[in-house]
Amino acid sequence: MNPSVSLGVLEQNAEEHVSTPILGPSIYSDNPQERIQARRLRIAARLEARRRLHVAPRLLTPPDHSPWSPGFLQCPLLLQAPLRTGSFLCQPEWSNSLELPSLGRVCQTREALGEYLDGKKESEEEQSKSYKQKEESRLKLAKLLLCGTELVTNVQVAVDTREVHRRVEEEEIKRQRIEKLENEVKTSQDKFDEITSKWEEGKQKRIPQDLWEVLNTQQLHCAGLIEDKNKLISELQQELKIKDDQYVKDLKKQSDDICLLLERMEDQVKGMTKSFRQELQHIEKAFEVERQELLSSNKKKWERALQAHNAKELEYLINRLKKVEDYEKQLNRQSIWDCEEHNMIKVKLEQDVQILEQQLQQMKAIHQLNREKLEYNFQVLKKRDEENTVIKSQQKRKINRLHDILNNLRSKYARQVKQFQEENQALASDYRRLVMQFKELQKAKRHFAVTDDEKFQEIWLMNEEEAKALIGRAFDVDKIIHTHHLGLPWTAPDTSLLRNVGPLSQKRQRKSAAQVLEEVLLGAEEEGAEEAVSEAESYLDLPKQISAKTTRKILMLLCDESGFLIESKLMSLLLPLETSECYLLRLDAIFSALGIESEEDLYKLVHFFLKYRAHHLSSSQIAPSDQVNAERLSTVSFMEQTSVVSVPEHLSLTSASEEELAEQTAPEGEAESPVEGEQAERESPLSPKLIHPNDVLKVLEAFVMGLRKPRDARAPRKMRKEERDDSEDSKYWRALTTVIPSSKQNLWDALYTALEKYHLVLTQRAKLLLENESLEKQNTELQQLLRQYLNAQINSELQVPPTQVFRVPTK
Amino acid sequence: MQDPMTLGSSQSSVSTQERHSAADQPLPSTPQASKPLAMTLPAKSKAPNFRRMRRVIAEDAEWTLAIVPLLTELCIQHIVRNFHNNPILKQLLPEHQQKVLSHLSPDLPLAVTANLIDHESYWQRCCMQRWPVCHVAKHGGSWKRMFFERYLESLLKHFIPGTTDPAVILDLLPLCRNYVRRIQVDQFLPPVRLPLPPRTGDQSDSGSEGETEEPVMDHYQLGELVAGLSHLEELDLVYGVKDCGMNFEWNLFLFTYHDCQSLAATIKVCHTLKIFRLTRSRVDDDKARILIRGLLDHPVLEELDLSHNLIGDRGARGAAKLLMHSRLRVLNLANNQIRGPGAQALAHALAHNTSLTSLNLRLNYIEDEGGQAIAHALQTNKCLTTLHLGSNELSEPTATLLSQVFTINTTLTSLNLSCNHIGQDGGKQLLEGILDNKTLLEFDLRLSDIAQESEYLIGQALCANREAARQRVLNPSHFISSITASSLENSMG
Repeated sequence: MNPSVSLGVLEQNAEEHVSTPILGPSIYSDNPQERIQARRLRIAARLEARRRLHVAPRLLTPPDHSPWSPGFLQCPLLLQAPLRTGSFLCQPEWSNSLELPSLGRVCQTREALGEYLDGKKESEEEQSKSYKQKEESRLKLAKLLLCGTELVTNVQVAVDTREVHRRVEEEEIKRQRIEKLENEVKTSQDKFDEITSKWEEGKQKRIPQDLWEVLNTQQLHCAGLIEDKNKLISELQQELKIKDDQYVKDLKKQSDDICLLLERMEDQVKGMTKSFRQELQHIEKAFEVERQELLSSNKKKWERALQAHNAKELEYLINRLKKVEDYEKQLNRQSIWDCEEHNMIKVKLEQDVQILEQQLQQMKAIHQLNREKLEYNFQVLKKRDEENTVIKSQQKRKINRLHDILNNLRSKYARQVKQFQEENQALASDYRRLVMQFKELQKAKRHFAVTDDEKFQEIWLMNEEEAKALIGRAFDVDKIIHTHHLGLPWTAPDTSLLRNVGPLSQKRQRKSAAQVLEEVLLGAEEEGAEEAVSEAESYLDLPKQISAKTTRKILMLLCDESGFLIESKLMSLLLPLETSECYLLRLDAIFSALGIESEEDLYKLVHFFLKYRAHHLSSSQIAPSDQVNAERLSTVSFMEQTSVVSVPEHLSLTSASEEELAEQTAPEGEAESPVEGEQAERESPLSPKLIHPNDVLKVLEAFVMGLRKPRDARAPRKMRKEERDDSEDSKYWRALTTVIPSSKQNLWDALYTALEKYHLVLTQRAKLLLENESLEKQNTELQQLLRQYLNAQINSELQVPPTQVFRVPTK
Repeated sequence: MQDPMTLGSSQSSVSTQERHSAADQPLPSTPQASKPLAMTLPAKSKAPNFRRMRRVIAEDAEWTLAIVPLLTELCIQHIVRNFHNNPILKQLLPEHQQKVLSHLSPDLPLAVTANLIDHESYWQRCCMQRWPVCHVAKHGGSWKRMFFERYLESLLKHFIPGTTDPAVILDLLPLCRNYVRRIQVDQFLPPVRLPLPPRTGDQSDSGSEGETEEPVMDHYQLGELVAGLSHLEELDLVYGVKDCGMNFEWNLFLFTYHDCQSLAATIKVCHTLKIFRLTRSRVDDDKARILIRGLLDHPVLEELDLSHNLIGDRGARGAAKLLMHSRLRVLNLANNQIRGPGAQALAHALAHNTSLTSLNLRLNYIEDEGGQAIAHALQTNKCLTTLHLGSNELSEPTATLLSQVFTINTTLTSLNLSCNHIGQDGGKQLLEGILDNKTLLEFDLRLSDIAQESEYLIGQALCANREAARQRVLNPSHFISSITASSLENSMG
């Protein structure tokens, strides 16, 4: 039951480490009391040993023979011994012994670490004593605590082991008991079987004696069985009783354990408080010592400093004394010197005083004089002042007067300003009115110009007609003369001049876009057949220098691409027409939609197309030659821009300058045109294909946007009446006069004179005829009268009738 | 002011005393001095004339010049006297409240005081009056809490089912529900059987005896009480009887199935419970499983203590399942009957657990089979800090594995292997393991057959670890330097 025998060997093995072997109670025994006793004994022994040992380290140098060398196997026990006991009587020694190795360690670490931790080490050294003490105490207390708890928990651990052992044993016993019971069951079962089998036997017995015998034996058997069972029961009861005893013992043991635990805890607490207190004291002592040391060192330092200070003070004092003497001497010298100087200055000053007194006298005299003068002056000034006051008042009055005048003038000025303003307004209104009138006048002038034109045209036409009629009559007369009078065949003179109707150069000045179109298109048509169109071409493109071909192509393209501008109704109407006509009408519609009215606009459009293409070209393929073109183009566009911009500027000027403008723009256009013409000519071979049909609309858009501005600006310009060129007129008229050549006139003159003569003759004849006639008449009348006289009654009455006198012609 | 009169009495000593007393008197007494004198005059009736003029009379020790107390004082006294019938406290000024409380009797009925008085001083007096030893720190530093907890505890301790009126406890419930956080009951009395059958030796030994009386043997059911306590965090129960001494009877320690089921239901419902202890109550596997089933997926439970019971491997398996399904941090299964398989189940749970920090398997039978399993689990576990495997009949193989664990594991700080058969070789292996470890702070190897030398060296290593840990705590920035210092120390030591 008790394994202490086997454990004892182990224990002895363990105990061999201890220097003094312990006989008697074992710490591994199951009895706690015994164990405790054993521990106490061991602790006492250790204490003894440690005390003995501690005498030695004090004498020896610490690092060599410190009890901390690892080889020293007793040290753990040594360490634990005092801590376990809880007796701290030897604490101071212990702490001393601890201090030694730690000091040694500090030295060694310092050597090992070298010099680079200097500052740190110094500070460590400074705080070393208290710090070390604290560290030590902490370590010691930690150990103490650890050991204390270990000591206390040892009880629990021991109980645990005991419990484990008990369990093992219990299990063993239980097993045995169960086995035993099983055996018992078996044997009793056997016996019981035997008995039951014997019952059968007994039943077969007929003889009472036998039966009785059998019954007896059965009873005996049963009694035996029961006795066995009873024995078992009593055994078990015995065991139970033992267990009960065990329970009581265990209870007691437990209470003992608890008592022990309590005792230990109390011891521990006491010991701990004691040790803590002790450690506190140690720490305090260490602090105290350190403080003392610090105090003494500081005191020493202080004294040293004081001494030094004293010495210095003395030195200073001596220096000072010396200096004082020096200064005294200097002072003496200075005072003597000062006295002398003072005397000298005194004398000098006295002299000065005398001089000054004299001067004062003089000054007084001057002062007197001055006073009188000043008084006189004062009087004079007073009078002047009075005068001044008078003058002042006069001036004031004058100022007042002037003020009045000023006010008057101001009011007058204001009035005048108002007046002028009114005048200004009136003038402005006059001006406005005049402007209006001027405008109206202009309008009237324009109107009159138009009417004049018309009148001029009418008069021209009339005159022309008259002239033509006259010429016609002349020709007729000539013809008659030739045919009737001269008997010559009449040849008609040149009548080209006569074909002209109306004023000269009127048609050429302005041509509508449609007409140009027609010309271009028709010209193009003709071009295919003959080259004679060049005449028309030259006439057309003289100012623009763009080949009609290019223009035509562009226009065709435009026509094809911008069909949307044409009304659908028109399109349907155009369908049956010829292609050229169709084109014409279409373009007409498109231009009307685009707002292109005149020839100029049309050419602008064409130019625009060409430029766009050139631009496109230059941007797309930049050859060195094209670059030049592009540059040129850019300049051109710039020029054009300037021209466009310049137009509105010029427009603001009066109409008088418009002529100049026209003259200016014309050269510009001419300057432009050669360049563009060149451009167009140069690129004409490439021409229409390079304007991609898809680009046409973009170009158109750009063009319309660009056109709008100049169009708006040019609106008033349209009103301007084109000045007629009348240089040709006189020529024309002169030409008209010379329709009949001078030879003919000479002829006519000769003819005239001849005819004159003839006429004269004729007239003489006529006169003679007339005379003849009148004579005849007189004759008749006289005849009549005669007859009357003759026939008259008077005659009868008369004495002499005339009839008798005369021979009366008988008729 | 009183000088002329005292001078008239011509006693220099008295005059000094009187001056002294005058200094002692509160300041307002001087202007009022004439008034109390006048008032005390009729009261003192035939007192000698000169006496009434004095503050102190040296010859008469009883003599005091009574001053009519302030009205507030009187009111407070009145309130104190009638506190039972008309408790007025909240309406008073703080200083008056203090005065009232300092004069209140600790015997006032709880129905009056419980929800009215929050001042610790009053409850301190109540506690001090009832119990000679008071560890207020154990009750969260609150005297009130302590009062109610201990009061409830004493009621529960002496509750006898069937005889004691349950209303005694339930009446207290509304009063203490806000203050009780812990119920710690170390005994539950069984119901008293009045017709006590004469006990014979036969009856006392068997556990089967309880079968017939089981329904009678139920203890107090905590269900209602626990449901009523809204802040309950800790439940510490022992189903047993204290100080039975030689009257021992197994019936006294019978934790019945009904008890178990009702307790399981109780703790399942109580969602504030953090600590549950049920020790020394003869909980076997089935009961343990019932309890653990009640605790599965409990929201806040942190500590479970089922030590000193009869839990075997099945119960341990249940505990292992609980480890998987809860946030348990402390598990104590000390002194049970867990063997190898149970320990293996626990080890399996431990290997994947991330919350458990402490596991106690003291006094079980896990042996090397379970010890090795746990050691394997420790190689992967990253949160267990304390492990107690004492008295488990472990031996060298476990020690070998544990020494490997030491080199890998960096969380374990405390390990207890006391009372095992580690043996000399096992000790050496453990020592080797320990030398590679820097985190282990406590390692108990007492009575485990280890050579003293290795035990000592292990102690040294632990010391070094402790120093390093302390340095780490003190100045985490100089961690490296402290390590070098400690290594130096090691080399020196």
